[in-house]
Formats: sequence, structure tokens, C-alpha cells
Amino acid sequence: MLIESQEPDFVLNNLLLITMGKLLVPKGMILINQDSDHMYQISKIKGRNALEEGEVIKVEFPVDQLDCSVLHGNELPEITKKLGLGEDSVFFNLRTTNHHLGFLCLGPKGTKKPLTDGELEFIESLTIISSVAIANSRMFQELRLINRKLDRKVHDLNTLLELSKDFNMMVDRDEIARTFKFAMLGQMLIRTFFFVLDENGEKSMVADSGLKAKPSQKELQQMFELDDVFFCEDDHDCSFLEKNDIKLLIGLRFQNEKIAVVGVGAPANKQPYNNEQVNFLQSLGNLALLTIQKTYLLEERIEKQRMEEDLNLAKTIQQGLLPSPIPTIEGFDLAATNVSSYQVGGDYFDIVNTPDGGHLLAIADVTGKGVSASLLMANLQSMLHALAPIDISLSGATDSINDIIHENTPPDKFITFFWGKLSSDGKRFEYVNAGHNNPLLFRKGTEEPQELEEGGLILGAMSTIMPYESSTLEVQQGDILVFYTDGVTEAMNPEQTEEYETERLTRCLKENLHRSSEEIMNAVIDDIMEFSDGVQYDDITLMVLKVN
Amino acid sequence: MKNFSIATRQKQNVSILDIKGELDAHTASQLENALKSLIDEQNYAIVVNCSGLDYIASAGLGVFMAYIEDVRSLGGDIKLTNMNERVYNVFDLLGFPSLYDILEDEREALESFEN
Repeated sequence: MLIESQEPDFVLNNLLLITMGKLLVPKGMILINQDSDHMYQISKIKGRNALEEGEVIKVEFPVDQLDCSVLHGNELPEITKKLGLGEDSVFFNLRTTNHHLGFLCLGPKGTKKPLTDGELEFIESLTIISSVAIANSRMFQELRLINRKLDRKVHDLNTLLELSKDFNMMVDRDEIARTFKFAMLGQMLIRTFFFVLDENGEKSMVADSGLKAKPSQKELQQMFELDDVFFCEDDHDCSFLEKNDIKLLIGLRFQNEKIAVVGVGAPANKQPYNNEQVNFLQSLGNLALLTIQKTYLLEERIEKQRMEEDLNLAKTIQQGLLPSPIPTIEGFDLAATNVSSYQVGGDYFDIVNTPDGGHLLAIADVTGKGVSASLLMANLQSMLHALAPIDISLSGATDSINDIIHENTPPDKFITFFWGKLSSDGKRFEYVNAGHNNPLLFRKGTEEPQELEEGGLILGAMSTIMPYESSTLEVQQGDILVFYTDGVTEAMNPEQTEEYETERLTRCLKENLHRSSEEIMNAVIDDIMEFSDGVQYDDITLMVLKVN
Repeated sequence: MKNFSIATRQKQNVSILDIKGELDAHTASQLENALKSLIDEQNYAIVVNCSGLDYIASAGLGVFMAYIEDVRSLGGDIKLTNMNERVYNVFDLLGFPSLYDILEDEREALESFEN
């Protein structure tokens, strides 16, 4: 029965009762060694005695006798006195092969007669059996403890694994923070918890539980400046931690930058946090943080995708508005191109026939980029095409276009616009320049180009108070007209220190005037690309008209 | 949707939540809402009957942690009953029995509220 029992308490109690009963000893006790020299706990005590059960006392059994199976009280008078068992008491060593467990201490028999050899032998064998039973049950308990610790570890790991799966399916930051909070409360058995996140320098609490007060910005800042693992009993001057009885702060890093702080109050068992718990807290915190970071990346990607789609749409609109192929005009050599930039500027050019056999040539640059620019461009294009068949003056038409644009667009939307009409006989060119980069006219035989600047304000800035003025030029064989947008003159060198400017354009044109329109145009584009090393920030539009 | 449901019953002055299915990170908020609305309606004597609960994760346990003190400070309590062994093991492993009244069955919980 003693051996089968897994309860040391049961074993010891029976050992004491059996021996006392069998030998008719009125006083006895069992001392259990406390893993340190000479300290014993009175595990069981029977009979009148000043000592109490459970008490821990110092008993200096001679060390060299700890491997004897029986010690006699009259050889150890001090101990006998201390234990209050009377002279002739006997101490039976409770031991296994390599462990001293304690003593079964028996006072003298009621008859005062010494124990016979037979009785000694009997008790000795009983102590051996009991010692084995105690050792076994201790081992068993230890195993149970280890098992439980292991179970707990497995559970911790399971929680991490499960949460990493759960987090994977979450894109809502509030939900992630809330889940993190509840997992933390449940797993660590805590009541007080908070989670502060630094989003682009803005520190705010994204989840909390059991707080008595919210921290101020200053207190948030203080928390970020403490160690990554900070036990709040250490020195700090953040009163928020004091007020809410926060015990531990964990700083979490992403790409080596501290961007979150988790704080926890005491666990329900009031024990200080150990290393394993700190590790678990960090792991779970990092998991939550990574998931939150992931949501930002996801949003960025969606935003980028949306922008790409926007730009593609803008590009499609723009390309649809530009004439393709470039029409030919009898007696002239015409070349035009638009090199659109990644972001799609708002460049536009067009060549439209008029009912009287003439031709409208237009070039424009709409403010802004992307879809909004291309929509305004579409507006302009439709007005141009609506007006082309109607025989009204260029300047009057420009007045109307300006008013319509001004009325129908926000105040920050403008269009620089130049258009001109080539007469049906191809001898005259009447134009209006509404704030556009001055086209250049290279007269045959003259060095410097003439700038076509007559006109008025850019379109859309204000309603037409001053009518746009037009100007008419005679064109002769060999004259060359060059129209361009600011993407040409404002192209930047790779160092971003200099623009291409009109001077470089004029020089390049002069060197190529003898060539065809197409060749001139390509020479300019090549020159710009060389200057900017192929990096383009804005649309580049160029139109060259050579009189044959 | 995960298999989880909550139903509320009233027996005398005690509110009983029957929770069924799996209580995890995704379903924890349902339990939270149920507890919150009980507290809002000033029902502080709460029994959570876990007879239909198949599984509980830490996030589920956390919801209980988050509300126990509020309820107790208002003079009530949250008592848990009818857990299957697997669910109880999780509660036990994390040390809940020292903090919560975990009882065999609903009747016991109702009686303990009467005293």
C-alpha cells in the first residue's frame, strides 16, 4: 500500500502511525530535508510536543552519519533535546541510494525499554520501503510538473501558430489590434494592457484594456524612449505607467526602428514576468506588428495599382485625341509628335481642315497630370473640332473658348494654347497665342527666329475682358515654323540643375534647318534626350512646318 | 463564416449565455458584444454555459479577462459552467480556475448567485 501510493503525505503519515502503533511509542515525528544542509521541515508530528507540524527547524545531524541507517538519540543529546522526544529516541534515516530525504524520529517506548534488534530491523525495512515510495512519488510529481510546463509551452506555440494564421486573413488594423489584445489578456491572464503604434511619427493607442487613464503625447513619447524590455519597477518618470500599475513595457521594432510599445499590468497570480513570458510577449507583439505593417503595404500596392490604371486611362484618352496619322498639307512638309511622360502631362496638338480649304494648327498644354488633365484636353479638343467648321474669326473663337473653359473648370485649371490658321492658298498664317510657349518662325535667309507672341492670357484664368488679338504673317517658301510645349524647354539635365531652354532649342534647330521637317523634329528630340539623359518629367510635344 | 453562436437566456435575475462552436480570434468579438450588451443593460449576474463549446483559443479567454473585473466591481460575476474536458484543460493550463468560478452545471451557478 505504501509503495503504490503517489501521495508522499499519505506515505509519511502511515509510516509514522504504523511504527508508533507497532512499538507503542507515544511521541514521534518525521523530518523532511529542505534541500539545504541541516534545515528540516516537520512533516508529521504525533504526541505531545512544543514543535508544530509544518515548522522548518535547523537540526544539525552530524554530516558523517547521514549515510547511517539508524542514529541514536543518546549519542546526540542536543538534537534529542531540540526535538523534545526524550532520551533514548531513535532516528531512522529516510534515504534512497543517493538521496537523504529526512528522518523518522521516534521517542522512547511507553515501557521505557530499548528497541530490540528485531524491532529495529523491522522499522529499518519499513523506512526503506517508505523512502522508495516517497522518492517515486516525488519523481512522479516532478514529472507531472514538467508535463504541465510542456503542455503550457505547446499551448503557447499553438497560440502563436494559430494567431499567425488568423492574422494572415485580416486586413483591418483595428481587428488585428483587438485580436492581439484579447490573445494577450487570455494567454497571460492579465487585465491591464495597451498597444501604442507610431504611424509616421504619430503615436496613438490602438488597443487597450483596463486602463484608468489615457496617456498624454508626452507620456507616449517617454515610453518610446525606454528600453525595449522595460520592467516598470526600474527608474522612469512616466507617471502614466505608475497610475495604471503597468509592470512591463515591450518595445517592438520594424526594420530596426521602434514603432510600437506594448504595456501589460500584473498577471492574475501577481508573479513578476519571467523570461519565457517576455519572449512570448515579444513574439506575439512582433506578429501583430508585422501584420499591421503588411496592411500598409497592401494599401500602398492597391493605391499604386489604382494610379497605374488612372495613368493608363489618361494615356489612352490622350492618344485618342491626338491626330493619327499626322495629316499632310499640300505644299508643306509637316511633322509632329508627342512623347508622353510616365505621368501623362496634358499636351495636345491638332491639325484640322476648315471648310474653306484652310488648315487649323493647334498646340496646347493643360495644367495638371493624369486623367484630370486629359479630360480637360478632351474638352478643348471637342471645342476646337466644333468651331473648325464655323467661319468665325480666330480671335473671337479664342474669346469663346476662354470663357467656356473659365466657367467650367476649377480656378486652378488652365490651358496654354496656340492656334493658327493656314489659308487655303497657303500664303497666310493667322494666329492667336493664349499664353503658350512662343512658336519660332525661321524666315528663309535670316539668322534669328521670330517669336509668335501675339494673343492674350492663358485660357481659363479669367473671363474674357480683353479680347484676344490675332496676328497674320505672310509665309514664303523655305520658312520654317516650330511649335513646342514646355516639356521641351523645361527638360532637366540629370543633375537637375539646368533646363534645356529656348537657347539650346534654337541652336539645335539652326543646325538642322536644311533638313526635312521630320529630320528636324527628330534631331531636336534626340538632343533633348541626350541633354536629360533620357529622363522625362513632362510630355514633350513638337510640331515642325516647313513651307515647300 | 466560422461555426460559432451565442444565445442569451434569462433565469430569475441571472443572464445565461449559451455559447456554441469555436471561440477564436475571429469569433471573440461576438462574445465581447454579447457581454458588453449585458453590462449595458445592467445584467451583472452572468453565467456562460459552455456545453456547446468545442474549442477555445487565447483570444476567447481574453474576452473573459477583459470584462471580469468590470462585472465584479459592479457587484456581479461571470461564472462558467458545463465545459467539456478539452476546453477545461485550456482554461486550467492558463490558470483560469484560480480567477473564475468554473462550475459543473448551470444549476450550481444559479445557486451560487442566490447566496
